[in-house]
Amino acid sequence: MIVLKTNNLTKIYRKRHLGKLYANLAVNNINLEVKENEIYGLIGLNGSGKTTTIKLILGLLFPTSGEIFVFGQKMPNRNMLSKIGYLPETPYFQRYLTGKEILNFYCQLTKIEFADIRIKEVTEIVQLGENINKRINEYSKGMLQRLAIAQSLLHNPSLLIFDEPVSGLDPVGIREIRNFIKLMKSQGKTIFFSSHLISEVEKICDRVGILHKGELKRVIDHKEWELKSLEEIFLETIEK
Amino acid sequence: MKEIIAIIRYTFKENIRNKTFYVLLLFTIILLFISTLLSVLGGGESIRILYDFGLVIIEFFALLIIVFSGVNLLLEEMDSKALYLILTRPIPKEYYLLGRYFGLLYSVILSMIFMSIIHIILLLYTGWEPNFSYFVSIFFSGLKITIIGALAVFFSLFSTSRVSALVFTLFIWLLGHFNQEIKFLIDKISSTILQIVMRLLYYIIPNLQFFNFRELSDSGIVFSKIILNVLIYGISYSCICIIFSILLFKYKEF
Repeated sequence: MIVLKTNNLTKIYRKRHLGKLYANLAVNNINLEVKENEIYGLIGLNGSGKTTTIKLILGLLFPTSGEIFVFGQKMPNRNMLSKIGYLPETPYFQRYLTGKEILNFYCQLTKIEFADIRIKEVTEIVQLGENINKRINEYSKGMLQRLAIAQSLLHNPSLLIFDEPVSGLDPVGIREIRNFIKLMKSQGKTIFFSSHLISEVEKICDRVGILHKGELKRVIDHKEWELKSLEEIFLETIEK
Repeated sequence: MKEIIAIIRYTFKENIRNKTFYVLLLFTIILLFISTLLSVLGGGESIRILYDFGLVIIEFFALLIIVFSGVNLLLEEMDSKALYLILTRPIPKEYYLLGRYFGLLYSVILSMIFMSIIHIILLLYTGWEPNFSYFVSIFFSGLKITIIGALAVFFSLFSTSRVSALVFTLFIWLLGHFNQEIKFLIDKISSTILQIVMRLLYYIIPNLQFFNFRELSDSGIVFSKIILNVLIYGISYSCICIIFSILLFKYKEF
């Protein structure tokens, strides 16, 4: 089953400055397919269009042309958002609230019954412990990332979309995220994430899409990088 | 509806835990006490001075809070990307905007009530006899704040910076107190184009003088018909601003 699909997805940013119109082609005719229960990594250099693609899928940006389908439903579709868990690149929460208040707030937005029980469950998954009662301004980068993952799991989504999930984390944090992604796959979830850290993607992904200058240059199955390193494949692809 | 209430609570908590909010509130209370001292210099008019000065202070500080918080209400969440996590939930975009706006109003109106209670205590201490006009004045100051808050949110949605949104809102607040002068100018200007522009301004800019019931309370007469008209005008103006804000927000990219 195809969980996520894009048809000729294109995004052009248009900006007017001093009467002159500037256009920037951020994403160009992308055709993606993410299958059920796979870990799909989108890799590319900075500015290659990874975050733009994710924002388009989530409806934070409107496509210039093309279509997006999630679980067979054309996006934007509000109901489909309840099946998606999203982790932004730099998660930010209101610093005057506690972790528990934040999670409680997201529970209310997704109409989760028995919020306290669910908050306890996800807190255990991300190992946030008693820190959940602290205010956000007391959180470290790692704790913020755990809280961000917790909020993405609250409504038990089938598709997880993570934007640069290991960006800025220390080696222990990176390993935890890696294990967490594997755990989610074992629970039957589909994971679609972006990264520019090829070594991380290589370790956990079933398939990888190489994005370069807004174009999806190549899609590789994990069998291919068992023969040749993903880094080599990536460099060959973008230098073509 | 539950989602809007959740966002109202979230915004309220965020505001009441913000130190700037407390500093402004504390500053107002100090000024109210200072006005008590000043009123002593007024001799026979001491109650009148404390009454008027107190109402002006309450409205002015409520205005400061609503303008600064209103402009930051969405811009801060856009800059920090905190709203990504809210807008990727299965809720309509307008729920977010409405929740944020009413959450801010709730915080400011509550702080106005708190300031008024202190003002009333000080007035009673100086021998003031409570009257209905006082509560009408405070109520309409609150309505004025509602309009300014809606304008701050509206300007923050199409301004490129906080400063421009702030300047626009304060400019409209200022012009809103000079509507009669604009009308006077329309009759005096000979240029047709300028006349059209001024006439447009006259109708677009909220007439904030309508909400000034401090002058009316002098005569002790509260005109129920005027009150009803001003109430309808204030609510309608705020609603139109919020409807336009929702339209802008719906088509905004993040």
